[in-house]
Amino acid sequence: MLKLLRCEFAKLKRKPLFFAAAAISALIPLGCALFLPEMQEFSSGAEAVDRLMSSLFQLSAYLLLMPAVVVLASNLLFEEQDNDTLKNLMTVPVSKPALALAKMTLLFLFSALFMAVGGLVNLAIVLASGLEPVGFWKLFFVGIGQGIMMWAGALPCVLLVVLLNRSYIISVIITFFYTAVNYIFGTNDYFIMQPFGFNPGTLLPGPLTFRWFFQYLDISGAQMTDLTERISPYFVTTPQAFLVVILESAVFLTLIALVYKRQSC
Amino acid sequence: MSDYVIETRGLTKTYGEQNSVSNLSIHVRKGRIYGLLGRNGAGKTTTMRMLLGLTAPSSGDVKIFGKPLRGNEKNILPRIGSLIESPGFYPNLTGMENLRIFADLRGLKSPKYIKDALEVVNLPYRDKKLFSQYSLGMKQRLAIALAVMHNPELLILDEPINGLDPIGIAEVRDFIRELCDTTGKTILISSHILSEISLLADDIGIIDHGVLLEEESLEELEAKNGKYFRFTVSSAALAANLLQSKLDIQNIQVDSANELTVRDHRLDAGAAVRLFVNAGLSVSDAHLYEDTLEDYFKQVTGGEGIA
Repeated sequence: MLKLLRCEFAKLKRKPLFFAAAAISALIPLGCALFLPEMQEFSSGAEAVDRLMSSLFQLSAYLLLMPAVVVLASNLLFEEQDNDTLKNLMTVPVSKPALALAKMTLLFLFSALFMAVGGLVNLAIVLASGLEPVGFWKLFFVGIGQGIMMWAGALPCVLLVVLLNRSYIISVIITFFYTAVNYIFGTNDYFIMQPFGFNPGTLLPGPLTFRWFFQYLDISGAQMTDLTERISPYFVTTPQAFLVVILESAVFLTLIALVYKRQSC
Repeated sequence: MSDYVIETRGLTKTYGEQNSVSNLSIHVRKGRIYGLLGRNGAGKTTTMRMLLGLTAPSSGDVKIFGKPLRGNEKNILPRIGSLIESPGFYPNLTGMENLRIFADLRGLKSPKYIKDALEVVNLPYRDKKLFSQYSLGMKQRLAIALAVMHNPELLILDEPINGLDPIGIAEVRDFIRELCDTTGKTILISSHILSEISLLADDIGIIDHGVLLEEESLEELEAKNGKYFRFTVSSAALAANLLQSKLDIQNIQVDSANELTVRDHRLDAGAAVRLFVNAGLSVSDAHLYEDTLEDYFKQVTGGEGIA
């Protein structure tokens, strides 16, 4: 598996799509810092960290990371067919499920790195503002955790893309529909105010992620206090959140590997 | 233990109602070059794909190195080098970078493997040219380099000279021949080009519409070629009579008043001419005709599609 993963990294050389996707991790933090007035005037370093990281959690992760993961997944999974290299790999021999899992592992690392880079850009902004980044590292690791949750949340969409096999346009449409739905569900009271269990609020990545990361933010303001009061009984703990992530990943990775195995080379 | 490196029994591949390969039984002997000859669409590539486990047979068995391929892929496939259909590589990488990926997957740590493989196909080692910028001939060379890089015992090469220029064809042909002669590798090569197969192969299988029509050594096929003499003399009837009565020659056909054809391999042309002259006949032409392999293949396959 390690060999396959190393080869997946080697295949990324001179691939602009992947580097563009990685570069957009800095886009929202920088955009917020440069263009939003409320992101330029902070009373303290802790407030700056909370607000900037909140934009990373609520915008970058939902609106950029999830679609990026699916688009990159389709690029990675179809590149072997597109380049006619699958036959070379099969005769090594490399198993198709192992190959699919290596590609998913690469995306896992990409997701974590995406959030880490976004977090570090935020840190740079805080430091450049002359503030002390109080509480940054806790939220930095929450960000990485959220990246992993977004990766797991993107897997059902990746499965759909693999099932549709080669239809890039439909894949992109599905990706953006899925992203929008997740974002809306992640902010909708019906979904985020459900107890931990077998329900959409727990199983869908949008609401689950929101119910996990939101408890780590300390954002002031009447509106936010009201929201926190309403949803705090429904916060999920880290073990609960990652239990769902592990189970969902196991199911969808297995399905992706099985569907990929059936594809001809 | 079987002497065959590749042995198939009743190998069949059906797509819908159509048989792409039908009941194919081929036998590739160790240390020999086996040429699979057939027109485009005859089933050569499908056969090779089944031999590599890339396509599952509808029925029949494949044995490689004396073991069934199915279930033994992890042991058998690393001992094979292959080139199937068009060369497939990552367009954003150079030739060396592409080979490095496969070398890594095969556990070949030393860069020497890549260097040597590129050297034998005359491609530069540290070239900055990306695969997407390669000509068809360079792509084909890189595919051959990939096939031989891990020093396999068996090579399965599907139309390896596709896209190569005449010099490249000759180089690849010499290289394949040398691989077999000096390192004892077994090579299965497919082509629709008769001259290539006849120049390279020790054993030949002729496939048409998915059916193996013939499987013999080159010598056996050559021995099957028809030979005959044609004479132009002052009296064909008298000449025929003389050949029968004096030399006991059979299979004589009088074509016209002055021409006759003799299909009897015992005939000594010199003795026949002397006999005719001594009997007072004038001989204006005596000619030996020989069917080529091409004539034979045309006869077996129906004649079309073989270059």
